[in-house]
Amino acid sequence: MLEAAIDWWSGLAPGIQDGLSFLLLLSPAILTGFLVVTGYRPFALVRAMLWRFRWTSLLFVILIGVSVGIGVGLIAQERGLRQGTARAADKFDLVVTAPGSEVTMMLAAVYLQPSDVPLLSGEVYNRIAEHENVSLAAPIAFGDSFEGAPVVGTTPEFVSHLSSGALAEGRLFAAHEEAVVGARVALDLGDHFTPAHGVGPSAEEHAHEGHSYTVVGRMPPSGSPWDKAILVPVEAVWEVHNLPLGHRPSRAEQIGPPFDADYFPGTPAILVRADQLWANYALRSEFTTAETMAFFPGAVLASLHALLGDVRQILSVMAIVTQVLVTAGVLSGLIILMRLFARRLALLRALGAPRRFVFAVVWSYAAFLIGAGAILGVVVGIVATAIISRVLTAQTDILIRASLGWPEFHLVAGFVSLTVLLALVPAFITLARPVVRDLRG
Amino acid sequence: MALPLSVSGLRVEGDAGRAILEADAFDVAAGSAVAIRGPSGAGKSTLLFALAGLVPIAKGSVRWGETEISSLKEDGRAAFRRAHIGMIFQDFLLFEELSAEANASLAGAYVRKRRHKIGEGARRALERLGLKGDDARTVATFSGGERQRVAVARALATEPSIILADEPTASLDRAAADALVDDLIQLTRESGRTLIVASHDLKVHEAVDCIIDVADGRLIGEVRRNA
Repeated sequence: MLEAAIDWWSGLAPGIQDGLSFLLLLSPAILTGFLVVTGYRPFALVRAMLWRFRWTSLLFVILIGVSVGIGVGLIAQERGLRQGTARAADKFDLVVTAPGSEVTMMLAAVYLQPSDVPLLSGEVYNRIAEHENVSLAAPIAFGDSFEGAPVVGTTPEFVSHLSSGALAEGRLFAAHEEAVVGARVALDLGDHFTPAHGVGPSAEEHAHEGHSYTVVGRMPPSGSPWDKAILVPVEAVWEVHNLPLGHRPSRAEQIGPPFDADYFPGTPAILVRADQLWANYALRSEFTTAETMAFFPGAVLASLHALLGDVRQILSVMAIVTQVLVTAGVLSGLIILMRLFARRLALLRALGAPRRFVFAVVWSYAAFLIGAGAILGVVVGIVATAIISRVLTAQTDILIRASLGWPEFHLVAGFVSLTVLLALVPAFITLARPVVRDLRG
Repeated sequence: MALPLSVSGLRVEGDAGRAILEADAFDVAAGSAVAIRGPSGAGKSTLLFALAGLVPIAKGSVRWGETEISSLKEDGRAAFRRAHIGMIFQDFLLFEELSAEANASLAGAYVRKRRHKIGEGARRALERLGLKGDDARTVATFSGGERQRVAVARALATEPSIILADEPTASLDRAAADALVDDLIQLTRESGRTLIVASHDLKVHEAVDCIIDVADGRLIGEVRRNA
């Protein structure tokens, strides 16, 4: 029986599973409402209470809304961040660097975070590039910048790989003095610029005077830090630093591989691609040696995301606890508020209204505040998510597209169910009030 | 159908078992109008609330027709009030945010079976009390006299056999009070309802069939005017 139910559930489309889960989580609230209100029409009195205590009610709804909104916004943001970082690393199958911290190397090579990293030699590069299973081995040399945009030395093949084979405009660089810019770099085709040595506030603006690049192409947007990068021939990066150009002098104008190991100054990282998926694993194993470290950025991210996963659990629990605490505070306030309404509630009982009706009035009022707060919370969550996404995108250059999804709606449904059950408490407390004393005010 | 009232050996206690109302015995005939008279704090309202089953009765009995309400549990007493008693209070106790009609037909919110009938009764009572055309206005915009008439309409909407009124004219000016007393007496007499009014108002005392005097929580006399 149970197995059949599990099979049936597993056979449902994910969207239907999510919808049913939502209804299931909301069902305690719906059932409670049905049981409490059936047979009565408390809504005119609820409306009267809402109007009488309109500012307090509004405050309660805002308090609940903000707590729910922050909760769902944080969780949606965490998912958006996870997806954004994964999308940004999509083009980086395997990265080979000098041994060290995988996270540091990934942040430097994939997310272009400034970092001092050891260089790989030309022998290492050639060993990788000439491997039979390697279809692309691109040096990634960073360290210079222009107006905050990192200048990265690499090969035309890598630019083509990043652009999925099609630039948004212009063409690939074909000479040392040419550059292709990311989608969000504030340079137009034909613009000239001189790179600064280093990145950030400590960059030396005039260190490379005399060297300039001309923008010849622009990559399409990728939602990654590469949208703000300027890609130039790796040979040009070596040239502006007065290093050998990667090729023997007779081929000094060559762009891209093959490189001559004797003239190869070194590169911090090499992006490696294999045509076959299995080959990537073999390459990782092969290039994990005493002098090189090969890693999948996706795997490093997965381990970081696993850590985030734990954080997500904690965040979810904290969000629920915070929301319930806020709601408990609101319900406590409601008990006090009911004292102000006690004469009218006592009147109902004096007129002969059943206790369950009075109970229904108070509960419905609380349930309305919770429901309205939850709806406001969803709106706050959407707005907060949009704002935080923009801020994070601006700060990290990783396109974060966070939006509320089923997990957040499940959270809201669970919150509503839990708190409308809590709302039974002030309703019970109201019934315990002395009718005649309240009638006399 | 009007219900007669029979009270005997009634004792209502306050804190620590102190007697706050004692009444040996009195009867009210079905369809008659009675005033409870006495100084402030004498126990008029307590007696009225005891007759409505709103305060616990320590000893004695309160019988409306065949129903001994002093022996009923709280839910039973509420059901009796719902079915048979219309109540009017000194300061109206209306829902200011609702319309006159919504206030008058309040019982329709919790009496499912007679909902439609209560609505009709409320509209009829409002019309009878001169509030036709004002029934959609919120009562917050009403004068004191109009508000009390809405409260009377609310008491009449369920077509109860008993009307219990606690100082219904105390918050009104003289003209409004006189008009209200006239309406109240006329409406209850027309339909043969039993009316009991706790009141200082001489106009009320002049209009009823019988006056019960209360002092210091005891019944001290009974004056039958139109017996």
